[in-house]
Amino acid sequence: MKDFIKTENLQMTTRKFCFFALFLSSVLLGGCGLDQKGMVLLTDKSYRASVVGTNNDGFTVPDGILWKQGKLYMADEGGGAFRVWTNADDVKTLADSSLGILSPEDLVMDAQGNIFFTDDDAGGVWEINDQRKPSLLAGKDKGLISTEGIALSPNGQILVGDGKQHQVFSVSKSGDVSVFLGTDYGITKPESMVYDDRGNLYVADNEDDILYLLTPDMKLHRPLENREGFSPETIWYSHGTLYITDSSNGKLFSYKPEEGLKTIAVFGGKLAAVSGITTNDNGSVYLSIQTNLKKKLGYIVRLDKEMQP
Amino acid sequence: MIYLLSFILTIPTETNRLTIVSDYLYEMINGLAGRSWIFDNLTDLPLESNLVKAALIGACFMFAWLAGADDAEVARRRKILLITLIASVFVIVTTKTLSKTIFLPRPFIQSQKTFHLEGEQLVESRRLDYRVPLDDENQKSFKALQNGEIIQNDLGSFPSDHAGFYMTLAVGILLACRSAGIIALFWTIFVTLGSRIITGQHSPLDIVVGSGIGIGILLVLQVVIGNLGKRIIDPIVNWTLKNSAVSSAIIFVVLFEAVNKLEDVRLIAKVAVDIAKHLIRG
Repeated sequence: MKDFIKTENLQMTTRKFCFFALFLSSVLLGGCGLDQKGMVLLTDKSYRASVVGTNNDGFTVPDGILWKQGKLYMADEGGGAFRVWTNADDVKTLADSSLGILSPEDLVMDAQGNIFFTDDDAGGVWEINDQRKPSLLAGKDKGLISTEGIALSPNGQILVGDGKQHQVFSVSKSGDVSVFLGTDYGITKPESMVYDDRGNLYVADNEDDILYLLTPDMKLHRPLENREGFSPETIWYSHGTLYITDSSNGKLFSYKPEEGLKTIAVFGGKLAAVSGITTNDNGSVYLSIQTNLKKKLGYIVRLDKEMQP
Repeated sequence: MIYLLSFILTIPTETNRLTIVSDYLYEMINGLAGRSWIFDNLTDLPLESNLVKAALIGACFMFAWLAGADDAEVARRRKILLITLIASVFVIVTTKTLSKTIFLPRPFIQSQKTFHLEGEQLVESRRLDYRVPLDDENQKSFKALQNGEIIQNDLGSFPSDHAGFYMTLAVGILLACRSAGIIALFWTIFVTLGSRIITGQHSPLDIVVGSGIGIGILLVLQVVIGNLGKRIIDPIVNWTLKNSAVSSAIIFVVLFEAVNKLEDVRLIAKVAVDIAKHLIRG
């Protein structure tokens, strides 16, 4: 070894190391310039994509989102809070961890403007009334252990999916809880739920990767199951179309019974974990992206219909 | 030295220009596709068949391993080739790590309507021209792409791990045995890697940088292990000379796996990790 150090070999080796280190650095720096970081590929070419908000805008990592009257309500899972966003400069927190909420998951708003949301860590159904006062409507003590999907039934009942008990519960506005779909229906994780305009209830199960359809006569169907590259995360119904996000495969789908499942967009890189979804009156689609829950990195992306020439 | 330094240091600022040149070259080379059904099927073969992709490179390696006028010459070649095999492992780890860190979809994906992040904003990406090869596999995968079916591996094309890996082997063979190395290098450039640009799997920049990483790691390890690792590598080389039949059999197994880009080894390693996790968790 000492002989080696004394020889010119070491100088030559060091020089080659320096060249190599410089080369690698340049590759890495050059690579940084090439790095697109995140991508949205639009298979439905009538849309354009834009970022409307990030974790620098007063929220962290939203999951469920809801557009109502020019405001975006968000269950900020990463921040353990419930917020309302008007624009990048105006984000208000309506409820936070001081109330006992931990990981807000999904939300609905009734006709009176009362908001109800779920929490898969704290459990229960939480309410923010039309005066924007938050409270726990029904908690773990009433059997709501890990609440996921939430929907408002046509008769005003709040339906809540529980991922640990594999059931869907019905919660009245006074906080009474009863079983709506028991374990015998076989839904493993009712992650998201929404009614269509015919009174059918769609249920997304992202553990078994099945989209269920419950007809008003309480018969459960499986319109989408056993499909490669399909794991429904959040579902949203608007103007005859069921929109489905898939965070496992980074996709946004549209579904109509007569047309089947179609991919609208594919998300990659930082934008792959597409989670919540809602639409506004113009048909623009808002999506929450959970880039990194631990690091509290998230995006709100909007897909707008392009003006046709 | 100063010229080289200034050139290397300006690479990051020149990335855009490099990309433009690379895209231009890519579109020119991909322009060969979609014209002849026979040509496109032949071009797709190295992508689908390990035999076409790498068997010749493996044969060249074996030739270089066994050829030599005397024991000293054979020992010199085997030393280079053993270090080449070690280098190939480092290269695959480096290129795979980089391609998983740097998000850059394959050129054929960039032919679609895509938006990418610049800072915190989504910007519409320049769409690359893409002539779809006429063979069944490429037609099928392009149709799948238009339906939004993208596999994860297609989202990290920079740098090319194929380029890094096979260029390492080819240059290693060239250092050991000129005649076999020229054949291996020719095959690597024009068949293994050329087909990847023609079919839209990689841009020339992916290939050049992947190759650069491969050659860089190979040369450094030749110097480092060749000098520092004498106590380890020389006894192994001597053992292969004394046990020619056994060592050739082992090299056959190693090469069999190497031409498959260590995919089976990675599968075995994954199973081993899964078993270890299973045992630890009970």
